[in-house]
Amino acid sequence: MTLATIWLTIARKEFADALRSRMIWGIVVIIAVMTSLSAGISLLIPDVEGGAEMAIGGASQFAGLLVPIMALIAAYLAIAGERESGSLKVILGLPPSRGEVLLGKFLGRSGVVAIGLALGFVVSGVVTAVLYGGLPMGAFIGTTVLTVLLGVSFVGIAIGISAVTATRARAMTLAITAYLGLTLLWDLAPNAVHLLVTGEMPGGVVPAWFLLLQGLSPTGAYNALVQQLLLGGGTAVEARIGGQAPGYLDPAVFLGILFAWTVVPLLVGYLRFRRADLS
Amino acid sequence: METHSRVLSDSRKPVDDGAIAIETIGLTKRYGKDVLAVDDLDLTVYEGEIFGFLGPNGAGKSTTIDVIMDYVRPSAGSATVLGYDAQTETREIHERVGILPDGYGLYDRLTGRKHLEYAIALKQSDDTVDDLLDRVGLDAAAADRVVGGYSKGMMQRLALAIALVGDPELLILDEPSSGLDPNGVRLVREIARNHADRGKTVFFSSHILSQVEAVCDRVAILNRGRLVAIDSIDGLRDTLGTGSTVTLSVDAIPDSLTLGELAGVSDVAVDGRTIRVSVDEATAKVDVIDRIRDDGAAILDVTIEESSLEDLFSAYTGDVPPKVDASEVER
Repeated sequence: MTLATIWLTIARKEFADALRSRMIWGIVVIIAVMTSLSAGISLLIPDVEGGAEMAIGGASQFAGLLVPIMALIAAYLAIAGERESGSLKVILGLPPSRGEVLLGKFLGRSGVVAIGLALGFVVSGVVTAVLYGGLPMGAFIGTTVLTVLLGVSFVGIAIGISAVTATRARAMTLAITAYLGLTLLWDLAPNAVHLLVTGEMPGGVVPAWFLLLQGLSPTGAYNALVQQLLLGGGTAVEARIGGQAPGYLDPAVFLGILFAWTVVPLLVGYLRFRRADLS
Repeated sequence: METHSRVLSDSRKPVDDGAIAIETIGLTKRYGKDVLAVDDLDLTVYEGEIFGFLGPNGAGKSTTIDVIMDYVRPSAGSATVLGYDAQTETREIHERVGILPDGYGLYDRLTGRKHLEYAIALKQSDDTVDDLLDRVGLDAAAADRVVGGYSKGMMQRLALAIALVGDPELLILDEPSSGLDPNGVRLVREIARNHADRGKTVFFSSHILSQVEAVCDRVAILNRGRLVAIDSIDGLRDTLGTGSTVTLSVDAIPDSLTLGELAGVSDVAVDGRTIRVSVDEATAKVDVIDRIRDDGAAILDVTIEESSLEDLFSAYTGDVPPKVDASEVER
C-alpha cells in the first residue's frame, strides 16, 4: 500500500504540473487542429474518393509524425531536468525510491499525453463527422486508442532517455536522435534491406518480411495497426504481399512491438538510473 | 557574575554506549581515477547529539552525506544510519531522516505551500503546512507564491521546512546557513537545538566555523577527504593547547596567588586588579575561580575568551579559514 501511494502521489503531481503549465492543452490543440486539417484535406482533392475512414487514415498519418515528437517533448526532461536542477535530491531525500520516481513520472506524463491525445481526437472526430456526414465509431475509437498507445510508447522512450542522462542538453540530444531514428530514418531501413536482398527497390507487391521490418519501430507498428484496423485485418496485408499473410504480421505482433517499445526503454533507464551517482 | 555560559552549561555529551545515529566504516568514494573525495572515513555519530561536520569546501563533507543518503554509492566501506544500511535499506532511512541537501533545487512553478504538501504526502506524515512554515519563519503570503520568485534565503527556509517534515529522528543539514541573513542563521541554530533537546540527532555540515562552534556537541574536521580530528570543541582545544583566557576583576590581588599551581593553567598575568589566566583544559576554568576565592579575593567580574575555532581549524587543516562572505558567493 505504501508503495502504491508513493508512486501515485508522484504521478498525480506530474499530472497537476502538466495542467498548470498548460502542456496538456498544447497537445489537445495541436492534435485537434492538425488531424482535423488532414481529415478535411481529402475533400479538397477532387479525384480522390474520400470516405470518413480515409479521413481517419489521413489523420492517423499525421498523428504518426506528430505524436512521437509531442510525447518526447512532454517527458524527456522528467528526470534529467530534476537531476540538473537538484530537486531530485529533495525528492530522493524523502521516502520515494528511484524506481518509484521513474514509475510515477512515466504514469503521470503518460496520463497527460493520453488525455491530451484523446481530447484532440474527439475534436477532430466531430469535425470529421460534420464534413463527411457521419463517423464510423469502431474505426475512430480504435484509431484513437492506437494513437494513445503510440504516445505512451514514446513517453516510455522519453522517460528512459531522461533516466540515463544527467543533463538537459544530453537528454535533448538523445530525444532528437530517437525521434529522427525511430520515425524518419526507420522507414528507409526496410527499403535498404530490400535493395540488398533482391537487388531492386520495393514495388507494389513486397515480401512479407518487408512489412514486418517496417512495423518494428513504434511508428511503424502503429501505422500497420491502423491500416489493419481501417482496411480490415487480412485484406490490407494480403493486398501488399499478394498472398496469405504469415502469422508474424498478426496485429498482436505489432501490439507486442508497441508494448516492448514502452517497457524496454523504461527498464533500461531504470537499471542505469538505479546505479547512477547523483552529485 | 558574568560568564560565557556557552561552553560551561553544555550538558549534552555523547554517551559511550549510546545508540548510534550514523556510522561509517572505511568509507571511500572515488570519482574516476584521480579524484578521491572521501578517503577511508570512520565516523560515529550518537543519537541525541548535535554533530558538527567541518571542513573547507571540497573536503568531502557533501560526498559523505551523499553516500549516507544513497545519492552516490561508495567505492569502498559502508555506512549505516539509525542501524540501517545506507545502500540496501534506503526506505527505512529516508522515512526517519530529514535532509537539507547541498546543491538542491526546488520547483520554480510550485508555491511553497505545494512543496510542503508534496513532501508531507510523500513522507506520509501528519504535519500541517502552517506549523512547518511557522518553524522556519516563512509567512503564509510568501508560501502562496511560486518559488521562482523566492530569494535565496526564502528558498533555504523552505528547504529547511521540507527537511523537518515528519519530525525526523535524524536531521542532516548540509551548509544550512548559506543564503541566510543573521536571523536565519540564528533560526537554524534554534531548530538544531530544539531538535536535539527532544532527543533527536542533528548532523550539521558547514565550512562556517562559528556556526558549528555555537551549536555542536562534538565536531569532526574533514580535510581532503580524510578525518583529521573528532572531539568536543573543548576537547579539541585541550588537544591543541590553544585554550581559553579567564580574565578576573577582583577587589584586591591576594597576597599569595597560587593559581600557577593548578593543573591546566599555563600562564598567569596580573595587571592592577585584573588577573589574566591562560588555561589549556576546559575544566581548569572553574578551578581558577575557586582557587582565587580560596586565596581570599572577592571576584567582581569574570570573562572567558575562547580561542576561536578558526584557530583550531587552521591548525588542523593548514589552510587559512575561508572568509564567510567569500564562500557565500561561491556557493
